[in-house]
Amino acid sequence: MNKSWWKIASILILVYVFIAGMLGPLKPGIIRVDPQTVSTGQELVLQVEGYNSHYLEAGDAIRAWLKLDDERALGATSVQSKSETQLEAVFAIPQYLPVDKRSQDFVLVVDNAVDGVSLLPSAVFVRQDSIDPDMGLKVWKNTPIEGLHYLKRLTFPFRNILQETIRNTYFHVALWLAMVTLFMASLYHSIKYLRKGLPDNDRWAVAYTTVGSFYGVLGLVTGAIWATSAWGKPWSWDVKQTMTLIALFIYLAYFVLRAAFEDPEKRGRLSAVYNIFAFAALIPLIYVIPRLTDSLHPGNGGNPAFGSQDLDNTMRMVFYPAVIGWTLLGVWIATVSFRVERLHQRMLEDVDS
Amino acid sequence: MNALGEILHLLRKELLLEWRTRYAIGGILLYVLSTVFIVYAAFIRVEPATWNTLYWVILLFAAVNAVTKSFIRENSARQLYYYQMAHPLHVLAAKIIYNVGLLALISLLTWGAMAWLTGNPVKDYRQFILALWLGSAGFAITFTFISAIAAKADNSATLMAILSFPLVIPIVMTLTKLSANALRLMNDSNTDQDILVLVAIDMVSLGMAILLFPFLWRD
Repeated sequence: MNKSWWKIASILILVYVFIAGMLGPLKPGIIRVDPQTVSTGQELVLQVEGYNSHYLEAGDAIRAWLKLDDERALGATSVQSKSETQLEAVFAIPQYLPVDKRSQDFVLVVDNAVDGVSLLPSAVFVRQDSIDPDMGLKVWKNTPIEGLHYLKRLTFPFRNILQETIRNTYFHVALWLAMVTLFMASLYHSIKYLRKGLPDNDRWAVAYTTVGSFYGVLGLVTGAIWATSAWGKPWSWDVKQTMTLIALFIYLAYFVLRAAFEDPEKRGRLSAVYNIFAFAALIPLIYVIPRLTDSLHPGNGGNPAFGSQDLDNTMRMVFYPAVIGWTLLGVWIATVSFRVERLHQRMLEDVDS
Repeated sequence: MNALGEILHLLRKELLLEWRTRYAIGGILLYVLSTVFIVYAAFIRVEPATWNTLYWVILLFAAVNAVTKSFIRENSARQLYYYQMAHPLHVLAAKIIYNVGLLALISLLTWGAMAWLTGNPVKDYRQFILALWLGSAGFAITFTFISAIAAKADNSATLMAILSFPLVIPIVMTLTKLSANALRLMNDSNTDQDILVLVAIDMVSLGMAILLFPFLWRD
């Protein structure tokens, strides 16, 4: 067996990640509806704009609901497809709603055999001028949502704010996890250097830190690209962005520290000490503080976690290979960097002798 | 000599050294006073939110100036002598304890100077003093340890700032939040969590400093 198999594997995995991650289609979804507000007692003619949908192909079998909660929903009286992505659904909004709120939001549910089921949360707000929940219960004509088509297809989930940018998970998140792995490898070699004092351990620590910092920069850049579309601007001083920037400063300081010493033994020892100390300071930075303050990132400050809903099985099929692929590639770059540094050292020794 | 006696003896040495070379502590005090005066001259009236930020920035720079010297003041030959006479960890412990005290004093003094010139917006004294203590401890531990690294290089003052500032940003961020609460700029119900984070950061830094110092003092 060729001992470089893992280098070939990293390339193959990343090629797969790029092809599957970029070309895999998104699940059909709903982008927007018009109008978004309606009063009670009116007939609502809702224009629905779909994404990746096949409304013409599905024909008359399209059904639509405005969902109030898990038990109650209003069925559309008629649904007409105008084009593959344009749908007109008519709802009869009752005089009274069975809620005691002035404005109630409804989830739009569209289902057909071709696209499966798609949702738009808080699609329509219904205003009611006179509030009477009891009357609302009486006039409510419930249309239970049943017989939905849950299709098992290789599609990435459709999220309303993210849309196509959900693919960035394979780059931004995967690069970030690979970075942490590389920094841990660097920490391991720094500890080993302090225990054994072999120059090779010092070189490995530097190589891993270099690639880790590079991945950190890539993670920031891919994050900024994602933030431009999801949050509206590339940099919003989100706590995780700030923390990552500080982490990069710490590792830049590591390189400045190395540059300050001539003697290789002293340089290796002091930078290993700083590396371990910095890593210990990095843990509260990256894991604890974002949990205590508000963050725009998923899973912090009341935002839903990037959990089972977003990272579905199809995404896992690309995401896990992406983490492994980026990590292996990082290790490979570190190996090359390590060997260059060792050759450089040997060349200097040859000149000396 | 037992550990406590040794640390106390080294502490006495630090104090004596400070007393004999009064220019160092005098310089720090003058730095704090002149900075506060500049702030006063520029702002006249300082909003509480600005007061909070300025206070910690002034304190951060005063702290890094005050602590940098701990391993640089004495030449390496004399330090080697200390390490032979006493346990190296006791030397570090004495310096950290001394610096915690020094920074606590400087932070109180900065507070006094700012209160005198620009007004005192602190509402919750207990909480503010707690923040001062935790901050002084965190700054002292990190800066003392980093100064031990920086002292080995030639241009140690620059290195000191580069190496230590990124490390103390989490402490500063948590401190400003805690003291903003003491100034009633915001109403945070879970200050206990902030205090816990500060204590945890201080403890981790202290643990790492103790663990790594044996590799640091030898030349």
